[in-house]
Amino acid sequence: MNVSAVLRVAPLARLPLAIGTIAFAFLGLFLLYPLWGVLSASILTPDGTAFTLDNYAKVLSRSFYRASVANTLTIGLLATLTTTLIAVPLAFAIARLEIPGKVLLIAMATLPLVLPSFVGAYALVLLLGRSGIVTQFLNAWGIPFGSIYGTLGIVTVYTLTLFPYVLLPTVTGLKAVDVSVEEAAQNLGSSPARTFRTITLPIVIPSVLSGALLVFIETLENFGVPAVLAEDKPILAVEAYKLFIGETATNPSAAAVLGVLLILSTVTVLIIQRRYLAGRRFATGARLAPPLTRVGLGWRVAATGYCWAIVLLALVPFFAIVVLSFMEFRGPVLQSAFSLSNYAELFATAGGPLANTLLFATLAACIAALIGVPIGWVLARTRSGWTSLLEIVATMPFAVAGTVLAIGLVIAFNAGALVLTGGWLIMVLAYCVRKLPFTVRSSSAILHQIDPALEEASISLGVSPLRTFLGLIVPLMLGGIVSGMVLTWVTVASELSSTVVLYSGPWRTLTIVMFQALEGTGAGMAVAAASVLIAITLIPVVTAYRLLRRYEFSML
Amino acid sequence: MGTIAIEGVRRSFGSVEAVRHLSLDIRDSEFFTLLGPSGCGKTTLLRMIAGFTEPDAGEIRIGGKRIDTLPPHRRNIGMVFQNYAIFPNLTVAGNIAYGLKARKFAPDEIARRVTEALVLVRLSGYGERWPHQLSGGQLQRVAIARALVIRPEVLLLDEPLSNLDARLRVDMRGEIRELQQRLGITTVYVTHDQEEALAVSQRIAVMHSGRIEQLGAPEEIYRKPASLFVARFMGTTNVLRGVAGARDDCGTRVRVGPSELLVPVLDAREGEALSLCIRPEALRVIVGGEPLAADSARLEATVRKTEFVGALVRLDAELADGTPLKVAVLDDPVAGAAPGSRIALAYDPARVTVFREGAP
Repeated sequence: MNVSAVLRVAPLARLPLAIGTIAFAFLGLFLLYPLWGVLSASILTPDGTAFTLDNYAKVLSRSFYRASVANTLTIGLLATLTTTLIAVPLAFAIARLEIPGKVLLIAMATLPLVLPSFVGAYALVLLLGRSGIVTQFLNAWGIPFGSIYGTLGIVTVYTLTLFPYVLLPTVTGLKAVDVSVEEAAQNLGSSPARTFRTITLPIVIPSVLSGALLVFIETLENFGVPAVLAEDKPILAVEAYKLFIGETATNPSAAAVLGVLLILSTVTVLIIQRRYLAGRRFATGARLAPPLTRVGLGWRVAATGYCWAIVLLALVPFFAIVVLSFMEFRGPVLQSAFSLSNYAELFATAGGPLANTLLFATLAACIAALIGVPIGWVLARTRSGWTSLLEIVATMPFAVAGTVLAIGLVIAFNAGALVLTGGWLIMVLAYCVRKLPFTVRSSSAILHQIDPALEEASISLGVSPLRTFLGLIVPLMLGGIVSGMVLTWVTVASELSSTVVLYSGPWRTLTIVMFQALEGTGAGMAVAAASVLIAITLIPVVTAYRLLRRYEFSML
Repeated sequence: MGTIAIEGVRRSFGSVEAVRHLSLDIRDSEFFTLLGPSGCGKTTLLRMIAGFTEPDAGEIRIGGKRIDTLPPHRRNIGMVFQNYAIFPNLTVAGNIAYGLKARKFAPDEIARRVTEALVLVRLSGYGERWPHQLSGGQLQRVAIARALVIRPEVLLLDEPLSNLDARLRVDMRGEIRELQQRLGITTVYVTHDQEEALAVSQRIAVMHSGRIEQLGAPEEIYRKPASLFVARFMGTTNVLRGVAGARDDCGTRVRVGPSELLVPVLDAREGEALSLCIRPEALRVIVGGEPLAADSARLEATVRKTEFVGALVRLDAELADGTPLKVAVLDDPVAGAAPGSRIALAYDPARVTVFREGAP
């Protein structure tokens, strides 16, 4: 065999290989290399020459940091539990009962997915914090009110903002149980209640669990909510940030240790999810979903009340923020007067933050689509060793908290041949890497519904693979691509965890304005920024709701 | 006793009347088939027996006991679903034990019956397998075992073979029939496949637009269809429009264009419009000067097309006025007739079914 034969690439493998090469280069440079930076900072001596576990020993010898691990996991588990307990009955009611206004209910129930949880936490502080409106009102009446800071507040915010992660897959799961499976159970003598317990529930449990694990991972990685509500309670993502950016002495190696611990926790959860759920996905090949269950009036009223109460409660904080933004603040203190001064202040100091947010979100959505859609195509259409590797690497950002990725990017591009810190590009790159798994996953999901024979027909008719992909497949995927871009855009606009590490002077975003307001004065500007953020996330979501519902929310 | 008595049952969905005032008695240990095209109401009727669809009116009794007022899980009816409806979260044994557990049988009794049921459907040793590890035919057997293990009074089968490939379908239908005879369980079988219905049933009800068009043994329904609908639905047939002519000892003569066909004696007036049905295989090609059998009549036609399908040769022929006529003859070297050639066909007048125009 000669060399040229070894290097010969089958004509149809060329395009996937080219895409794969670009993908590996991008992810290698902006994901793996920074992660290696974090890992090496944690396991190498300060001069970078020898292996050491000293950093781990030092960090873990301090009860404060041990507590941060324990707190993060406890709060995550608690929030996962409460979220599941709230979402499963909600899912059952939506899938199986007659609820007035169901279409609107479902639409509103998906909103917390795109609204920034950080803003929800902030609203909670404004309402129920130490000088919160409700707190002051209650105090004026002499009613004692406990603290919402710490575990209680964080778990509450997580529950109210993350419940759609369990709700949507459970509804889908319940609707995917074929009617004949339940009929068969009843035909064999099983009462409706027993049928639900022994057949329906076991079939749906994998969907519930996959949603619950998403919630758990989300709580581990979240930076904004504990940053607002944890106060003195140490939480991994926040402590890693403080150690890295630090007001006092920075300690990158200790920050890297916490980052590695955080990644280890999320990876463990993901592996458990793969292991457990891989063997327990039940396809009933539903052709006909079971009909609505008929229940008595009492139950119907109770179910309706429950559904609407949860969904509205989850949106109250956001509504409150918008109302508050039109009131006057004197320092952090709220005055009962209508005013547009908050907005005046926001736009005076800064056409900047809004313009930055819009610019970064747009750039990130476009770049993520440009890279992610071709990767999704390769993963859906090509099967070989390197594509499995690509799949793993392209899914990895999912397991990496934004704070940790950002720390890695700073370590990697702070010095040397490529210096990116201090500019805006590093922020956009962080967003692209973080959102890439979603783009990849949704594009390959859409492709699984497009017959590969279409591509083969086009190629056999003389159109090159690249032109077939661009001219035939991309247009067919367009709805999915656009909805993926909307979701990326919206989540990037409200991104805080990596922004807070990476931003520099002129490149503040709306979330940074809010974050800074927490630490000092400027509450008025923060609520205005939060309202603008709510508006710019809601408008595209409401506009593209049909697309999103079809392509994105159905993937949970 | 597993008799099923259906009296005046009716059911509509919106403005569509799926089953119209239907009455039917199914005998104990009978293999009974509801046959008809999709939308004829056969599945609705079956689901009313099972309890998944409620009748708007009428009564259903099993062994004399009224069951249409019972919830489905109290009816003690075994049902095999079209897509099998195997519980994906339970093993094969778990699926089969499901109904026994609902009936709170002792664990050792459950184990014994499950083993028995697995033997019955020839799946011994498959108890611990998961549904996704089984083939379509095996899932079908699990579905049957699961329905039979509860010792139901009647067994309902809803198009059970439609998801299997052709070869397996033929094997499975034989197996189902054999199992049913061995157990002597009253069985109601729903299908749209007339060949399948003919092969397995003791009696068939051909349904159309929510009514029973004809009820009878397979031979009767095939050979003596009660209506044009049944004649057409039960396999291929030639429908010839004609006019009643003179009557003599041999039978009535019917003019179809310039040709004349002899049919059994009718009490039709001369000149009355009639439809004649004759099955392709009831026509026989007469070779050369072969004498006509005493009870046969004769017909001339021109061959237009021949199709060789193995056991049969199908001829598309035409009467003198161009009326198409399908003929099927068993494969036989002498039977080959080239397109364009004129042939003589012999038939037994008794095998011609006559409908008066205006009749359904």
